Amino acid sequence: MTGVTLKCVDKDFGSTKIIDNVSMDIAQGEFAVFVGPSGCGKSTLLRMIAGLEETSAGAIEIEGRDVTQTEPAQRGVAMVFQSYALYPHLTVFENMAFSLRLARAPKQQITKQVNEAARILKIEEQLDKKPSKLSGGQRQRVAIGRAIVRQPKVFLFDEPLSNLDAELRVQMRLELSLLHKQLGSTMIYVTHDQVEAMTLADKIFVLRGGVVQQSGTPLALYDDPANQFVAGFIGSPAMNFLSATVSAVTTAGVVASIEGSDGQSLEAQLLDTTLEAGQKVTLGIRPEHMHICESGLSTTVEMTENLGGVAYLHARLMGGQKIVIERRGERQSHQDESISVWADPKHVLVFAQDGQRLR
Amino acid sequence: MITNRRKHIVVAMTLIAPFVFIFALVFLYPTLKMVELSFTNAPLIGSGEWVGLDNYRRLFNDNLFYTSLKNNGYFVLLTVVPTTVIALAIALAVNRLAGSMQALVLAVFFLPYILPVSVVTQIWAWMLDFQFGILQPLIEWVTGKPVAVFNHPSWVMPAVASITIWWTNGFNVLLFIAGLRNISPDLYEAAALDGASRRQLFMKITWPLLWPVTALVLTLQLILQLKLFDQVYLLSGGGPFNSSYVLLMMVYREAFQLNHGGYASAVAVILFVLIMIVSVLQFQLLRIGGRK
Repeated sequence: MTGVTLKCVDKDFGSTKIIDNVSMDIAQGEFAVFVGPSGCGKSTLLRMIAGLEETSAGAIEIEGRDVTQTEPAQRGVAMVFQSYALYPHLTVFENMAFSLRLARAPKQQITKQVNEAARILKIEEQLDKKPSKLSGGQRQRVAIGRAIVRQPKVFLFDEPLSNLDAELRVQMRLELSLLHKQLGSTMIYVTHDQVEAMTLADKIFVLRGGVVQQSGTPLALYDDPANQFVAGFIGSPAMNFLSATVSAVTTAGVVASIEGSDGQSLEAQLLDTTLEAGQKVTLGIRPEHMHICESGLSTTVEMTENLGGVAYLHARLMGGQKIVIERRGERQSHQDESISVWADPKHVLVFAQDGQRLR
Repeated sequence: MITNRRKHIVVAMTLIAPFVFIFALVFLYPTLKMVELSFTNAPLIGSGEWVGLDNYRRLFNDNLFYTSLKNNGYFVLLTVVPTTVIALAIALAVNRLAGSMQALVLAVFFLPYILPVSVVTQIWAWMLDFQFGILQPLIEWVTGKPVAVFNHPSWVMPAVASITIWWTNGFNVLLFIAGLRNISPDLYEAAALDGASRRQLFMKITWPLLWPVTALVLTLQLILQLKLFDQVYLLSGGGPFNSSYVLLMMVYREAFQLNHGGYASAVAVILFVLIMIVSVLQFQLLRIGGRK
């Protein structure tokens, strides 16, 4: 069954198109993540689903019901804001009970539901406190608790972890994941942090300029990006992009010589290509797919980031193009050393001049 | 950072010294002098003889003092709460406007506040003039006959109160606008998702979160309106039949017209104490009210 469906949705602010013809299907119980850089329209899209922004064109359905013109409160959604948006003059209990009290629910039911949510989130001790007396993490829990109490069909999260410190963010990320398993509700989560997207999502939607660039499971997006933007956005450190010129087309793919590298080239596997020799392309190789070898692309290591289990060598090719090489268990710094690197043709992605992936 | 405590204190003292000096010169010293004068029979200029509590005894037997006190109370009733309610209503309306329209409307409401009191009273004296005031037809339409507003015992105080509200309301609107802008729009969105109606948004979000500003406006207004003088002095001179006579007018008349410096000081001391007690009491009550 479908959880949330968007059909050709548009959002205009004056003459500016913020969301451009977005269609998507999010299954019931799925954890969907909208990810993209600042200003890509991900928060606007979430607010449109919540009903906080009007939809200029298209339709939004929640569990099969068209809610495009429905008031926010009647959509069956609950939202967790980046600022938490806790009512500062009310206690934690009153904050969580707010919606039920407005709906004139019986007192017993209110107490039961709030206590249940507080138990799930381990904030029973905080119920009598005002938000100003809570830490960032506790406020975040209260905000989530307020959403749980409403028993919504869809949970909406607008960058909920961005105000927390790094350690707490990792902890809350895990808890959100567990909460999703426990409640089994549809959740839509907005973030600009691709690590959050990769770790939380069943399905990621990558947005840029109000357009969905690609959607799919985190690994599908990582392994098989549809364009250069998605390839660069998903994964940390980011994929290496090298400007190159096709020097030969073979049955297995292409050979492309790296710009400014004195004819040094890399091979890439392509199934079907209309590429011809002399055409300019961009090669994409993930840092973990760059290997040090006897003969290959000559590089000079400029800096090494050693994280213990893994090291990132920041190097420069002959023509000045930068690359990052991931080395598991590396202990040497290789600082200012000249090394040769190579990548397996099946891990070398090819992008056309317009950024589209060639397969 | 390592700080030298002695140096720290010297710097602090140097920084507050100008304020302390000016405060002592123009407030503390005159206040103490006023209290001292209130126990003497001094004229306006020069010292007098110590008369103990005579001035206060005389004051508490003076009918004009009670009339003035009553008029002050009446004026506070007519202005403090109404001006707060009106300012809040205007602020809520102005807050809904956007961009330059909001600035324009706000400026229009604020404009009277920058006028000097003499101009304000002159404008309204003309508008309400018995013979040619442009508001007289309106009054005639309501009451059936023109009214000499500032010469009528029951009209004078409400008229002065209305003019005062018109004059000073812009500042209160500004305070409320600042208060409203302090409320995060996220709260309204969260409440909308929680199912709050427009009325509930006001009652459950706006009103409680604006309470500190409301308490401030009420207290400032109370202090300001208890110090009423200029408007009545210029519009009605305290009349007719002392129906707009207030405590500060009594101070003025005793000191500057009757040359009773000591007695005027006693009235001033009473007014000073009254304002202090009432405003502190009110602010504390309002704070408790807001905390529950």
